[in-house]
Amino acid sequence: MNRPDHSTFREWLNQDADGMLAQGERARLEEHLAGCEECRREREELLAFERLLQRSALPVRPGFANAVMAALPPAGWEARAPRTWRFPLAVAAMLMMVAGFLVAGSSVAPSGLAALGAMGGMIRAAALAGAGLLGASWKGIGIVVEDVISSPVSLGAFGFLVLCLNLLLISLVRRRRPSAASEPARGRRTGG
Amino acid sequence: MTRGTEQATDEELVAAVLGGDRDRFGDLIERYQGRLVNYLFRLLRNADDAHDLAQEVLVKVYQVLDRYDPQYKFSTWLFRVAQNAAIDQIRRRRLKVVSLRQEDEEGEGRDWDLPSPERGPYGELRNRERGGAIQEAIDGLPWEYRELILLRHFGELPYEEIAKLKQMPLGTVKNKLFRGRQMLKEKLKDFLSD
Repeated sequence: MNRPDHSTFREWLNQDADGMLAQGERARLEEHLAGCEECRREREELLAFERLLQRSALPVRPGFANAVMAALPPAGWEARAPRTWRFPLAVAAMLMMVAGFLVAGSSVAPSGLAALGAMGGMIRAAALAGAGLLGASWKGIGIVVEDVISSPVSLGAFGFLVLCLNLLLISLVRRRRPSAASEPARGRRTGG
Repeated sequence: MTRGTEQATDEELVAAVLGGDRDRFGDLIERYQGRLVNYLFRLLRNADDAHDLAQEVLVKVYQVLDRYDPQYKFSTWLFRVAQNAAIDQIRRRRLKVVSLRQEDEEGEGRDWDLPSPERGPYGELRNRERGGAIQEAIDGLPWEYRELILLRHFGELPYEEIAKLKQMPLGTVKNKLFRGRQMLKEKLKDFLSD
């Protein structure tokens, strides 16, 4: 590294006053200060300047922190439910229990084991029905797609529709994930 | 209130508040109130307004605390909100840049009468002069230097945070702070030997 010139040392003096000069640079600055009267004077001035600003500090009003705490309104995020699976799982478990008791209590199911068997049957039937619906949906989609690709015009229109939907999706995702740190500052200018 | 949180980082305190420990926000207030009030005081030039706006800023930050991204420094975020709020208020009130002499004539110069260890009529006078001179010197700086000087000296933000907040290269921040400080020192040289 080349030997820093005098103006560089003056900049380093400022950074040193802020406690932000790198260790290596600080050592070189000290070395320079030992032989430079002008820079020593500059450092004294900087220290006096810091003291002057410190002495001019406005004391914070007593009880300020407590006043702010007392003035805090409930924030929106405090009322928002946490984003976990705990609540849906608890509801599902409760529903299962209620269903279990109902089945166990009925005349057609004399024991708890039979009740569980009946619940299993119900779940299996629901799953089969869901699978049937899904299959039918896919078949319906297949028919529509076959119809769409049969004509170049409808194929083009379909492509355009997909493109629009993608753009919509992208814009929604971008709106939902703003930069948290810059959120409150958005749209502001800092000029005075 | 601060027991057990002396060593907690800002980010840990924010996480605790978001986790339901509302009192930890009080620790954040204690940590930043001095810097925030003084930073706003130098922008608004009025102690009551500075306190009121500092309270508004802290309330606003609390309300959107869940949007805080821990990859950024909390102080950067806080002072960005504070700066925007102060600029809004200055614009709203169309704060006039008038000389301190005019303010004194209008009876609005009391804010420069800051507490000082100096006693007696001469000490009070000198203190008042000093407070006014500092504010006048700051007000006389071009905005591009003033905003960085205020963030550094009253907000006590490190260079890197100022660079992020102002979206400036680090070298530019250092350079502007250096120049701004030279201007201030020159204007305040009569008080440096006090």
